[in-house]
Amino acid sequence: MAIIQGITDTLSGKIVKPSETLVHKTTHLMQDGMKARAFGEYEKPEALGDARWTDELILSTWYMADTGEVPDNLNFKTGKSDGGFDRLDFQFLPESDWLEHSEAIDTKLPLNRRGDKKNKIEIDIPWYGGGMSYGSVSVNVMMSRAKNAKQWNSFMSTGEGGYPPELYEVKENVITQVATGYFGVEEETIQAAPIIEFKYAQGAKPGLGGHLLAAKAGEEVAKLRGSVPFVSLFSPFPFHSTYSVEDHSKHLDWIETVNPKAILSVKVSTPHDVDMVAVGSYYAGAHIIHLDGGYGGTGAAPEIAKKNIAMPIELAIPKVHKFLQKEGVRDKVTIIASGGVRTADDIAKAIALGADGCVLGTTDLVGMGCTRCSNCEGGPSGRGCPWGLTTTDIELQEWVQQDWGAKRLNNLYTAMQWRLRDILRKLGLSNVRELRGRTDLLRYIGKEADE
Amino acid sequence: MLESATHVGLQTTNGPLSIDQFGAESARLGREIADEYHRYHIETEEVDDADPLPHRFLVKVGKVGLAKLIAKEMVTYFPQFDVILSRPCTYGVFSGPVGGFAPRPKLCVGCLRCEVQHPDFVKVLPNPDLLALGDSYTTHGHIAAIDEEAKKGMVPVRGQGYRGRFGGPGFDGMLTDMSEIVRPSRDGIHGRELIGTEVDIGSKPMHLSFDSNGKLSGSIPEMFTIQVPFIFDLPPGNLGSPQLARVVDSTSSRIDTLACLDSHTVARLGLDAPNIVPVLDNTEASRASEFPNARLIELRSSPGRSWGWDAAGFEIANEATDAMIGIRIHFEEGWQDRLSQAVESGVKVIHLLADLHGRGSDGTFVTELFKEAHMLLIEQGRRDAVTLFGGGGIVGADHVPKAIISGLDAVALDLPVLFALQGRSNGSLRHRENVAGTLPRHLDLDWAEQRLANLCGSWRDQLLEILGAMGIREVRRLRGEFGRSMVVKHLEDEAFEGIVGYVGGDC
Repeated sequence: MAIIQGITDTLSGKIVKPSETLVHKTTHLMQDGMKARAFGEYEKPEALGDARWTDELILSTWYMADTGEVPDNLNFKTGKSDGGFDRLDFQFLPESDWLEHSEAIDTKLPLNRRGDKKNKIEIDIPWYGGGMSYGSVSVNVMMSRAKNAKQWNSFMSTGEGGYPPELYEVKENVITQVATGYFGVEEETIQAAPIIEFKYAQGAKPGLGGHLLAAKAGEEVAKLRGSVPFVSLFSPFPFHSTYSVEDHSKHLDWIETVNPKAILSVKVSTPHDVDMVAVGSYYAGAHIIHLDGGYGGTGAAPEIAKKNIAMPIELAIPKVHKFLQKEGVRDKVTIIASGGVRTADDIAKAIALGADGCVLGTTDLVGMGCTRCSNCEGGPSGRGCPWGLTTTDIELQEWVQQDWGAKRLNNLYTAMQWRLRDILRKLGLSNVRELRGRTDLLRYIGKEADE
Repeated sequence: MLESATHVGLQTTNGPLSIDQFGAESARLGREIADEYHRYHIETEEVDDADPLPHRFLVKVGKVGLAKLIAKEMVTYFPQFDVILSRPCTYGVFSGPVGGFAPRPKLCVGCLRCEVQHPDFVKVLPNPDLLALGDSYTTHGHIAAIDEEAKKGMVPVRGQGYRGRFGGPGFDGMLTDMSEIVRPSRDGIHGRELIGTEVDIGSKPMHLSFDSNGKLSGSIPEMFTIQVPFIFDLPPGNLGSPQLARVVDSTSSRIDTLACLDSHTVARLGLDAPNIVPVLDNTEASRASEFPNARLIELRSSPGRSWGWDAAGFEIANEATDAMIGIRIHFEEGWQDRLSQAVESGVKVIHLLADLHGRGSDGTFVTELFKEAHMLLIEQGRRDAVTLFGGGGIVGADHVPKAIISGLDAVALDLPVLFALQGRSNGSLRHRENVAGTLPRHLDLDWAEQRLANLCGSWRDQLLEILGAMGIREVRRLRGEFGRSMVVKHLEDEAFEGIVGYVGGDC
């Protein structure tokens, strides 16, 4: 009977939790395939990649996630977007002046610079994981990222979808996000986190709020969000309790009351007056100003918003950095950049432009197999990511196993830290914090230079 | 008798209402009023393809490799048929009657899982037939987006971030701004609060004057209103046909906008109506009298003439009709003088035209040209006395707000109509007169009207997204709001100034 049932279910397309054998078969085929592609055993898939994430960037990320090393034969540094990070390069010293490649090259980043009594947090690498909510991704993906964050003494943000119970296991490395829908925001989840992140806006859809399509708001998702299953969920824009800097300040006061030790991050997108927004957030009490640029990732966003609203992160960082310098508060606040930061080279360039560190989202997903096919929101199947990443489908989510995901990300971060140190030593810097705002160490590659 | 009931006219044939009847009758009236309430909305509905675009990907499966895999899995996994029959596609590419032996590429979304899992015998390729559509400006990407918008009538939503180039030429070099906190109008996008997209066509006096009796004594507004800031322009090249004329006529009437059509077509098909803008050659200006229902008639340069402003033609047309007379001005050398002369002569609608790549004859892009026209009128103190339409290069939903920010009141759509109706083009799409295209052979009017309405609904909703992000509650306020935009070149200058090798945003 079980055999007949299996045949019937499969042929009818009924979605059931996959058997162990099926998970074993599928995951091995996927993992072996990724490895074979990354190692160049087959041609690059012709349909892979786009201007921002080229085929080589995706394959090199797979390579790093597999080996923990940077590849020799793939461009793991830049895309082909014809601007921003892709037209910036470093002015390295003559080879004779390079430092030794060594673990002594310091990549640590302090996140609390205000000198107050809140958590003194320092992460081992100048980046952490950006918010991807439960619902937009599975618990397996969240736990892969969170476990990896723990290994790196760094963080991962919950995004706005609640706090799955599994996360308490690694709560010291989890940021609780408070966003406009307040999904899953409870005293307990605020008290659990060393850092609380207020998401005012998201770079990929600035000014538009969030939207989890009904197909992805299943029973488990609904339970954590306190909603009705399979009903579309909107995070409105903006916070309906915040219409001024004073309101914003009260918001932060609320968190301080519930969790007096937590440091506060304010995530904003990049409008023309982003510098004003940043300084206002600082005076309201923020420890981290998280700038999310217009080319950032998303589980679902109107196509018109991704490209057209607000500015790319490369253009926002110097604006904010210089303005905070002018205001005399630059050294009291941490600027974190995200939204199109893909590689260690991008991170170093963002820091040279004036950020302290970065947040990664898409890079983590690519490390676990994402091909950027853009069907995260459900796609024609309505089930979400066929790679098992941006989905809570009971079958598809099994394609990403937590330990495998964490291992992939650990390898990826190892290679990225190596490359960051490589850049620093070639610039003669022994500390990543010395790179901040050093635009003199960058050069712009004009079109004439490479044509 | 219930005095208040009589006061509001609540009476029955048997006399005034009793107090018992009053509540019921009030409720009935309330329902009637509610039934009459209409909030502007474009009804969209997914429609089938008539001539579908080439699908995005080709899927090639090696039959021998597949047969070997099946045989191997039969041996390895028997009798676990859930494992044997599992396929590496959640979209059904391999779920046809014979599975991977006859894949269904139209279902492929390019996730590449099949190709990664089975590199020996599966290949997914971009479809060259799709990539070949359009030209260097109106790309296959624009055409595919228009096709999707016209099919579904929805705002295209996808996962993952932006995939294209950093900034870029033309409209891509402009970003729209957003406001971080203060945004009471955001809810308009979900229908709870109104964001207006209507546009006034014609002339508004700078102030109203009243006589001692309180009656208007000076200039009064001469204008009418359309519900969306886009109109349908003359079909370019060889695309004009009676069927297309009927489609834009019915669609423009349905969504309450305007459709520019050749005056001879209007006359021949009997399409004279308030939503139709007959376009006359200057030499035929006296024919303006043939269109008594038109609210607006446009004059254009006669074939073979220079792009001169024809004051005589305007006078003749003005004499011949009560309709507003608009003038079509191409961005050819000296357009600024022609614009000024036309406005000086009392023209209330100017329809500016660039080529279909959005360039004037000197190569300047329309965002700069529209801005120049807008500023010219402001400097003359006449901006509100004139409505500016503009066309050329508008092939994406984002181009509408960007053109309006640049100074237009409304944009004119040309090529999007062709692609919304699943037409095909051949060769360059730059010069209006040279556009060669074909529409589906059997253009069903209902189907075509719904496709165009879907496109308009989608573009209007995307405009609402942009306006909502800015906190602007009506599109009229967006006109010429340069401060609501950011120019990538300027931002680059600010961000990268001083970096070795940087010599300007367009380097």
